[in-house]
Amino acid sequence: MEKDVRDNWENPTQFILACVSYAVGLGNVWRFPYLCQMHGGGGFLIPYFLMLLLEGVPLFYMELAIGQKMRLGSIGAWTAISPYLGGLGLASVVASLYLCLYYNIINAWSFWYLFHSFQSTLPWSVCPINSNRTGPIEECERATPTQYFFYRETLNISSSIEENGSIHTGQALCLLLAWGITYLFIVRGVKSTGKVVYFTATFPYVVLFIYLIRGMTLHGAVNGVIYMFTPKMEELAKPTTWINAATQIFFSLGLGFGSLIAFSSYNQYHNNFERQAIIVSLINSGTSIFAAIVTFAIYGFKATVNYENCLERTRTLLLNAFSLSEDSINMDNVFEWIEKLNTTYPEQFAELYGKLETCDLEQELNTAVEGTGLAFIVYSEAITNMPLSQLWSVLYFIMLLLLGMGSMLGNVTAIITPLRDFKVVSRISSELFNGIVCLVCFLLGLGFTTTSGNYWFSIFNDYGATFSLLFIVLIEIITVSYYYGIKRFEKDIEDMLGHRPNWYWKIMWAGVSPLLLIALFLFYIVSYIQGGTPTYQAWNEDLGKSEQAEYPLFGQAFIGLLLVSSVSCVPLTALYVFIQKRKQAHQHKQQHSVSTVAA
Amino acid sequence: MLGWVFFLLCLPPVLAVQLCESDAPGAYKVRLSIRTALGDKAYDWNEHEKFLFRATMAYAMRLHKQQEFGVSNIIVCRESPRVSFWFVVTSPLNSSALVDKGDVERAVSKSRHRINSAFLLSDSSLEFVGIYPTLVAPVAPDTPPWLIVFGVVIGLVGAGIVFLLVSTMMEKRRKKKEKAGEHEEERVKTVENGSMTDGVYNTTFSDDERFTEM
Repeated sequence: MEKDVRDNWENPTQFILACVSYAVGLGNVWRFPYLCQMHGGGGFLIPYFLMLLLEGVPLFYMELAIGQKMRLGSIGAWTAISPYLGGLGLASVVASLYLCLYYNIINAWSFWYLFHSFQSTLPWSVCPINSNRTGPIEECERATPTQYFFYRETLNISSSIEENGSIHTGQALCLLLAWGITYLFIVRGVKSTGKVVYFTATFPYVVLFIYLIRGMTLHGAVNGVIYMFTPKMEELAKPTTWINAATQIFFSLGLGFGSLIAFSSYNQYHNNFERQAIIVSLINSGTSIFAAIVTFAIYGFKATVNYENCLERTRTLLLNAFSLSEDSINMDNVFEWIEKLNTTYPEQFAELYGKLETCDLEQELNTAVEGTGLAFIVYSEAITNMPLSQLWSVLYFIMLLLLGMGSMLGNVTAIITPLRDFKVVSRISSELFNGIVCLVCFLLGLGFTTTSGNYWFSIFNDYGATFSLLFIVLIEIITVSYYYGIKRFEKDIEDMLGHRPNWYWKIMWAGVSPLLLIALFLFYIVSYIQGGTPTYQAWNEDLGKSEQAEYPLFGQAFIGLLLVSSVSCVPLTALYVFIQKRKQAHQHKQQHSVSTVAA
Repeated sequence: MLGWVFFLLCLPPVLAVQLCESDAPGAYKVRLSIRTALGDKAYDWNEHEKFLFRATMAYAMRLHKQQEFGVSNIIVCRESPRVSFWFVVTSPLNSSALVDKGDVERAVSKSRHRINSAFLLSDSSLEFVGIYPTLVAPVAPDTPPWLIVFGVVIGLVGAGIVFLLVSTMMEKRRKKKEKAGEHEEERVKTVENGSMTDGVYNTTFSDDERFTEM
């Protein structure tokens, strides 16, 4: 008689697509191109691939093996390995919870931008006119229209984390929609998730491919790609390059959240996850490089457009100041004319000094942005300059949505699967439980839609799941290699796959990966200590740009709370289990002594 | 005599030029960017275009002040190859008095679109330095368009959720009915068998049947 029939993926393809959909997310689009650009272009691929081999694939393989073997979520799986390690699973669930809370806000922003793309002129391409109809709104003039649209109309941001305000209703509605769609995708567990991932995993590639063609045919795009991919080998000498490569691989694959354990727990026992682990990791890295090519093409286009606009403004300034005929100066001889006019009319030229800008194409190409700034400000600005901008805008934000929703599937599954392993929860129907989780996360996430919400978002983004994940995965790999034992692990894998993992995997699990993780962990601790008071970028309304500001005391306390709350699950649970066992042993002794007396 | 005639003939233009100075009280600078705006279809700036300008300005002044302004009331000077020049407007009642800045500004603002169209230019390519164009009021629709798209999408999502939940509930109900139906069938079967073979309902026999079910 079978006790509990666990849900399964309908076929291995669904599992691969689910992993791809989860791992390929926004980080591939907005973090990897930035790192590639900052750390020597094409040369960055060397540390990147090296870290993929040394750290990424082995750890990915390990998590899939654990999930498929134990057929339980993260809490159950680690409790099965050792009762003291249940806290490891709990820490994963807490980290996933933090991630779920703030990640769907990005999807809400994507929805907001998507819906606003259905207009004849994109609202972030022009400044809105002020109430007197004399000119554009001041804040928009000092900044750029795209920045104004993001900071004022999308976020309605306050000037610091201390100032709070009301909820932005548009944002709240978009967040409701984002959670509604998340619920729709996971309402029946893997049965519904399995079907959705066919779309969320494949369609972003269609859009990326379309954007690749569009991007490479843009004016100046090829310059961008060539410039940014030209390897600068001297960057490889800096340790930060290698550390950033390692952290990027680590976070990009989504290790430590428990999503991979959850996904693979729904696999058939003899599923060949070894091959799947390699395939998914390679797809993830390949997508990063693909997205980087597209991003650099867009950067090249944007830099060329900015450069040419700068030249145009300089030309107009010279023409107006010196009343020259329009034919005399064109784009090519602006700099010659500057020289000529400087020598012939030095006093008049000196008057222009404040207004004359320096136009430098390389400087434009060197501006590098990452994160939400890249996705919502730089990219949307580039889109406004393309012909048929509404179409490109819709396509782009649909792609961002699919990438984000695909990752959300993994994040929410990482919370639900381990909790459903508990008997108390499995009595409630899965639809009701999933609904409760989504509702709670939505209500808590409303806090990010207030005027200071973006600052809280930054706290969660930077501290919610970075440090704790390193800790979790480090404990995971040490547990598997030394506590559970490589030999037992080998046997389990042989049981599932039919062959033992070869010496390469064993060396990575036992030696290289833990050492790398320890190095990363120490580096994080050192940089936290050395960094002093953590700072954030506050938007200054009057100046129209972001400024660095220090977190107030309650902000720093909250950061500490975030870090401690997930990490402390491990020792606290171990302590709790230890106390429970002592109590049980004590009771057992008492009973035994009573029975012997009775006998 | 002839000298006097010459002097009188030359006087108005000279006076006109003297009136038209960049620091005159009602003077405005105009700047045209014909080549930038029209590209290949650009026309040359010559005396005829200048005449058109003066005629258009006279029209604008007429419209605003309801006085009989003529082309001679608009005086253009200090032209440059940029195509920029200064102009002043003299009153039709007194050709040596200048119309003040405010009146000229209001007249230009009123007829700005007509002046632009006469030259096939726009607010940015035909600039009156110092007179800012009144920007078009933004068209504010009753329902913001994003709300419409949002409504459609959230309606679809809501319908999807309701559909999935209802179909799950109906499946569960169907399964429950099936299970209840199966149990009933099996109980009926055993009773029937008993009555057919024995004619008398033998409870021991039917009990055995129940055990063998498992």
